[in-house]
Amino acid sequence: MQIFVNSKYDFVKWRFYAVSFSVLFMLLGLAMFLKHGVNWGIDFAGGATITLRFKDAVPMDRLRADLTSASIQQYGKADDHAVLIRLPELNKETDYAGQVVAKLNADLNPQTTTKLDLNFHGKDRLTELLAAADPDAKGTSPAARDYYKNIAQNIVTHRSELGVYTNMAQVTSTPGVTTRIAAFLNDKCFLGAFNVLDQETVGPQVGHDLQQKAILAVVLSTLAMGLYLWIRFDLMFGASAIVCIVHDVLMSLAFLMMINGEFSLNIVAALLLIVGFSINDTVVMYDRVRENRRKLKTRMNLEEQLNLAMNQTLSRTILTSGSVVIVLVALILFGGKVIHEFAWILLIGVLAGTYSTVTIVPAVAIAWNNMTGRKHDLAGPANRPTRVETKQDVPPAQRKRRAG
Amino acid sequence: MTRSLLWKVIIILAVLVGFAAAIIPTADNPEPIRRGLDLKGGTHLVMRVNVGDAVRLETDQGSEMLKAQAKKANLPIPTTRRVNDTTFIAMLPPDTPTTEYERIAKDYLGSFDVSRTPDGAMQFKMKTAVQTALERDTITHTVETIDNRVNALGVTEPYIATEGANRLVIELPGVDDPARVKDIIKTTAQLQFRLVEGEPGSTPEAAMTNVPANMKTEVEVLPGTREDALGRSAGVEYYAIRKTVPVTGTDLKNAKASKSQMGQPNVAFSLTPDGARKFGDLTGQNIKRRLAIVLDNKVISAPVINSQINESGVIEGSFTPQQVADLSLQLRSGSLPASLTTLEERTVGPSLGRDSIRQGVLASLIGFIALILAVLLFYKGAGVNAVLALLLNLVILLGMMALFHATLTLPGIAGIILTLGMAIDSNVLVFERIREELRDGKMVRAAIENGFSRAFGTIIDTHMTTIISALFLFQFGTGPIKGFAVTLLIGLFASVFTAFFVSRVIFDVMYKSQNRPTEMSI
Repeated sequence: MQIFVNSKYDFVKWRFYAVSFSVLFMLLGLAMFLKHGVNWGIDFAGGATITLRFKDAVPMDRLRADLTSASIQQYGKADDHAVLIRLPELNKETDYAGQVVAKLNADLNPQTTTKLDLNFHGKDRLTELLAAADPDAKGTSPAARDYYKNIAQNIVTHRSELGVYTNMAQVTSTPGVTTRIAAFLNDKCFLGAFNVLDQETVGPQVGHDLQQKAILAVVLSTLAMGLYLWIRFDLMFGASAIVCIVHDVLMSLAFLMMINGEFSLNIVAALLLIVGFSINDTVVMYDRVRENRRKLKTRMNLEEQLNLAMNQTLSRTILTSGSVVIVLVALILFGGKVIHEFAWILLIGVLAGTYSTVTIVPAVAIAWNNMTGRKHDLAGPANRPTRVETKQDVPPAQRKRRAG
Repeated sequence: MTRSLLWKVIIILAVLVGFAAAIIPTADNPEPIRRGLDLKGGTHLVMRVNVGDAVRLETDQGSEMLKAQAKKANLPIPTTRRVNDTTFIAMLPPDTPTTEYERIAKDYLGSFDVSRTPDGAMQFKMKTAVQTALERDTITHTVETIDNRVNALGVTEPYIATEGANRLVIELPGVDDPARVKDIIKTTAQLQFRLVEGEPGSTPEAAMTNVPANMKTEVEVLPGTREDALGRSAGVEYYAIRKTVPVTGTDLKNAKASKSQMGQPNVAFSLTPDGARKFGDLTGQNIKRRLAIVLDNKVISAPVINSQINESGVIEGSFTPQQVADLSLQLRSGSLPASLTTLEERTVGPSLGRDSIRQGVLASLIGFIALILAVLLFYKGAGVNAVLALLLNLVILLGMMALFHATLTLPGIAGIILTLGMAIDSNVLVFERIREELRDGKMVRAAIENGFSRAFGTIIDTHMTTIISALFLFQFGTGPIKGFAVTLLIGLFASVFTAFFVSRVIFDVMYKSQNRPTEMSI
């Protein structure tokens, strides 16, 4: 299947509409930014997040009473009984999430001082407890310890498969648990209210460092890209490429503002990728402009050169962007929570990259050319006595000579 | 097939087999591609080593040394005051000649610069080189100690590294009880054996009442746990403890969990030869006095010395079996020379990792299949070529990750998919060129030849730009993002190889055998 064969769209003509659209889009993003500010994730703002899975319905009132400054949301499906707790930044370095989990544990699981919580602790403590009590009378040899360690491991693995133990029968049906061990577990252990799915703490110092690093990374990679293109092509291309990158990043950020998405490390990774990937369309187009300059027979101004190159590379642009978009859509639809926003931002960035290649880049290049005395309006026989043929003028029969 | 083409095919097959072998799990290597903490579950910690602790301790020991040597030389003992972490001031009794003290400073306090304050006191400031070396040693020692502890816990493939001047990054895959592990890592476990003056009291003041007058400045009050008759804890008790520390945790040879005759858990320890001598002197000269066992500035217990003890002893206190196991582990692996402050923690439980990997893999598979279908739809016969190149790209990418021990993270999975998108781009660039050449009336083989050579420069450019951004990603990213950058970089190199070399060879195999192919499915 072939698309856009010999297309002759006048892309250059549309550039003012496109610039207006981009400016409007960005202004909308700016308005959202002014209204809501940036929704910094804990990577940058500092603070803590904790995801808990409860064995019964979530005791929302208890949580709210215990954690007055936290925002608490349902996590996943309602019958998962899971919540995501976000705690605002503390102005000191401490094991924030760990302390909050310990506090909740003390409040919701009062038995924890006398019995071992099978929804909370890992295999080591259970091994310790089993080996000390020795319900299966295996003695105190290392082999006996391994025996209990193995059982403890099975119990903890079974828990992570289930997400949380909801009743003791689930524990005692774990492979390796004998009747005596089951009796012992029923006596000395209990099932706590929740299992900790994940916990994160970012102290103020790290948050600040990450923020600086992220800004530096995006700015420096943009400049490095412009520098590379300046060396590979010329200053006009380098400059318009930088404008193009800034445009794509700003469009993605404007989108992030509109959906009030969380600005996290993953988003920075997405922005860096946009810097590297969305520029590709521009590079391919410029390559074609340069190649054409060497071969053109008729004199062409920059506008015509750009239009020609954009039409020649159009089907490649659509196909490549299309295949990346297919993959990103799959990630958005099925990738789960962690990938979701990351994939969205990439998608917007890739689309913006394709669109800016045929609109913003020519707009900048033409403006640059007009301001620098139209030095780029060259190509053609007037200043190049060249023997290289062009496609338009040479009949196919003659062209065989050049093949290979 | 010509000879050189045959060789190329052999090279490609060798690459395929080699990398495929690297990613097939074996008995020795059940997980050839390491999964990151976000997929496997585990704990990522960034901690600050408070190197100031070690410097302060050195300064305090300097002032103790000055006093001890003054006492030995029968000079009046100066009063000392620490000004900051690196500096202390010694106030000499009025009308004392300073030459003797200067001699002591020269002989025993070589790591300090000595100067005079305006009011005539001696000021000792630690030399900068000494401080720098001490800070460096503190970091090294901390890393070693944490390494010992983590290994004793049985964590597989832990990662501990320094970052910047005083930060540590600790990654512990598969940890299922982060609270306990953090506790074990962070406890400094500075064990000291020090003599008690007077009797314990229920308030700090009460503890000081029975201290002889001449010892009042030589002791400090530390809290401990009061025990009732049955050895259970019952509130806080204060002890006046001598500042001098004759025996410390570094004198221990071994420590292990044990039980008293009453079945109470305790820690049994044995001492190094040097430690045994010091401990023998201490206990032999102080029979019937109380010896405090101090851990991190808390009195664990303060038994009365009944007889001289040389090589081994037990530490008793109101311990649970778990505490005894943890304490003996910490004592065995050595104490930390400085305290740690948690700056960052990311813990992913194993069940969340399981969910993420399931969704990530599912989404990637769907994306991959959709990509293949799209390529086949657009390029038909040449699409098969692109798909073969793509599959080989995937095998190389995963194989390289296995060989380099790169870590596969969740954003890394997205990185793989994106890399495949890039690889497809290279094929698209080439194929579009071939189509153009064919439209211009070129013969099949010439069109292929031109298509590849014309697209070459463009493909290098597009890869270079993405490589630049991947390098920045690697430089500035942390944890999973770094994994993503590595995946992307490897994938980019693989994609140049597959798009140019492999695709080219496949076309050559398809069309070179025919004499003058006139039709091309593209």
